[in-house]
Amino acid sequence: MKKKFSFLVLLIGLMFVAVACSDDAGSEGDGEVGGEITVWVHPYTGDAAKEEEMWDTIIKNFQEEFDAEVNIEVIPWSNRDQKILTALAANNGPDVFYAIPDQMPQYADAGMLLELDPYLEDFDMTDFVDTALVSTKWQDKTYGLPILQESYTYFYNKAVIEAIGEDPENLPETWDDFKAWAEKAKDKGYYATTFQGGGSMNGTLYPYLWQAGGDVITQDNEVMINNEAGVEAFTLVNEMYENGWIPEDSITAMEHDAIWNSGDMLAVLGSGITLSNLQSTGEIDFVIGPPLKNKEQVTYGTVGMFVVPSNTDNPATAAEFVKVLTNAENQRTFNEVTQYIPTRESAKDIFDEQPYLAQLASYTQYALPGVIHPKGRDIMPMIQAELQTMMEGKKTPQEAADSAAESIKAAIGD
Amino acid sequence: MKKNKNNKTRNKLPFKERFRKNAIVYLFLIPILIHFAIFQVFPFLFSFVLTFMDWRIIGNHEWVGLKHWIYFFQDKLAWKALWNTFMFSVYYIVPTMAIGLILALIINSGVRFAGFFKGIFFLPVVTSFVIVAGLWGWLFGGTESGLINWLIGLFGVEPQLFLADSSQALIVLAGLSIFKVAGSTMIYYFAGLQSIPKDLYEAAKIDGASKMKIFWKITFPLLKPIHFYVAIVTTIGSFQIFDSAYLLTGGGPNYSTTTIVFYLYQQGFTNLNLSYAAVLSYALFFIILIVSLIQRKYIGKDTAIY
Repeated sequence: MKKKFSFLVLLIGLMFVAVACSDDAGSEGDGEVGGEITVWVHPYTGDAAKEEEMWDTIIKNFQEEFDAEVNIEVIPWSNRDQKILTALAANNGPDVFYAIPDQMPQYADAGMLLELDPYLEDFDMTDFVDTALVSTKWQDKTYGLPILQESYTYFYNKAVIEAIGEDPENLPETWDDFKAWAEKAKDKGYYATTFQGGGSMNGTLYPYLWQAGGDVITQDNEVMINNEAGVEAFTLVNEMYENGWIPEDSITAMEHDAIWNSGDMLAVLGSGITLSNLQSTGEIDFVIGPPLKNKEQVTYGTVGMFVVPSNTDNPATAAEFVKVLTNAENQRTFNEVTQYIPTRESAKDIFDEQPYLAQLASYTQYALPGVIHPKGRDIMPMIQAELQTMMEGKKTPQEAADSAAESIKAAIGD
Repeated sequence: MKKNKNNKTRNKLPFKERFRKNAIVYLFLIPILIHFAIFQVFPFLFSFVLTFMDWRIIGNHEWVGLKHWIYFFQDKLAWKALWNTFMFSVYYIVPTMAIGLILALIINSGVRFAGFFKGIFFLPVVTSFVIVAGLWGWLFGGTESGLINWLIGLFGVEPQLFLADSSQALIVLAGLSIFKVAGSTMIYYFAGLQSIPKDLYEAAKIDGASKMKIFWKITFPLLKPIHFYVAIVTTIGSFQIFDSAYLLTGGGPNYSTTTIVFYLYQQGFTNLNLSYAAVLSYALFFIILIVSLIQRKYIGKDTAIY
């Protein structure tokens, strides 16, 4: 009886060991393209079937050139950072994954990404939009190739433009133009624009900061946020809030959709998603204006890129796949389905029949991808806190900018 | 209590015999124990090891000794987050318990449609937090068009900024949690109320006790085990508050709604500073442990009914 029991325990123990030791798929050595790679993508639209078809087309294009298996795994957007981090830490992650600009330098700086330059030696990069490549480079090394881009600009409500006695054909181009319109809108009981103070600074302070000719921090750790241009941007935000051009709750607001949708706002800072929402409801007659200019004409626009983790066991195939995935033909396939803007000039022809998207696509040349710095994400809440303090009236723009600079210096110092 | 002690002495068989007697139980426990060891014990211990390292996701990890712990004691933001969490508990725990108890008394009072009210009161508990938070954010919109602002405007009160005001935001978030959780404390209290023997009430009535007196002398004291349980659960819940700040304020304005869990999430998963996040989670663990021990000492004693 006792023996039998011990045997049972042993057996169960062995079963657990057997289950725990799952085998890793075999892989190709360095240099050779072949074997199998796993690619993590996200649901870019609501239409899973259409996306599956899109990936099949792209993989087929890849396999025409190379003999390798590609597994596409669609990972939901929520907590994507955690999922990627845990998978990579367990050495069980993908060979290629989708990354966004503030993620790339952080991962690259931690040594988590494979440098792609050795694979790009005789690869023609001239077709790529310059601003899209900004986000793929950290310290002069390339870590990814971009597939999609956005550009944020002002969408104006035509009814409000007419109500304030302005011309929809003649939209604001500079800060001064916009301020004049904002003041008129305020007088007529409208808000001028949105300001999501609780959201990403890429949609609030940063575009104004760049338009003023400033920056947050350089790649060489030079803190710029409290120079003359920086203070000018802080001042503009303060002015917008004090004058009531932006809603009262702008300090921590996450969205102002209700105000915009009910027609109480002159303009909203938006991109392709804003456009498709406006077109699908059809309730607001709108017109798209150019990104504003103060010293420079700049705006924000995210970039989506594909990167290769440094612990992939099939780097050559992964790198080749990223190159094929972002070629002009596949960018057309991808962006036709997802309705983002291609990062290659030649692929932008997919919007020839769609004037609004073509207009947005023409602005990607002004669209910066955010703060490209490993600490870009760390410092954003610090700047946000100072901006909020200023908007609450507890600090002047100069004081807020100075405190932000101090916090940034402390954050990069350690 | 005495009975327990007797049991213990009687059970003191030699280890071998005890093992043989209970072997089959251990056998069935093995899978769950393995699961527990892998997914609970190991992360718990490993995260403690993490606090002494600069742990990178990929590549070389460095031993840095007490660096992160020392930094924690100098990190003003961490202390602000702890203070915010404490203030959140103040705004949250007692109201949640009180409202839960009041709701339980209502549905226990034999009012008509008690089942219907029970369902209504419980609705926020089963509704997704994201939905409830969205509604709350909409109710407490900081512009004139926000519903609450419109309501208080009827009484001539100026529009408030609510979530955009550093002195109000945390209270609004606490209100959200109270709204979300009071329904479940109601259920605990309702169960507690049902278990109080009816004859005590009869006796009190015969003695001519007023309703208030009955509540304070019978109902309230006999709910002590429930008070204890609810107090522990809401305290732990309040120290772990994260989602409302994440969804509604992003920790602002000016860190006024940055709670300790929100801060450690930011440190860990936004800044990739996993070692420091582990330090923060241990700090939180010790705080919850100490508070729970204190609560156990003062309100956790058994209540003898008779």
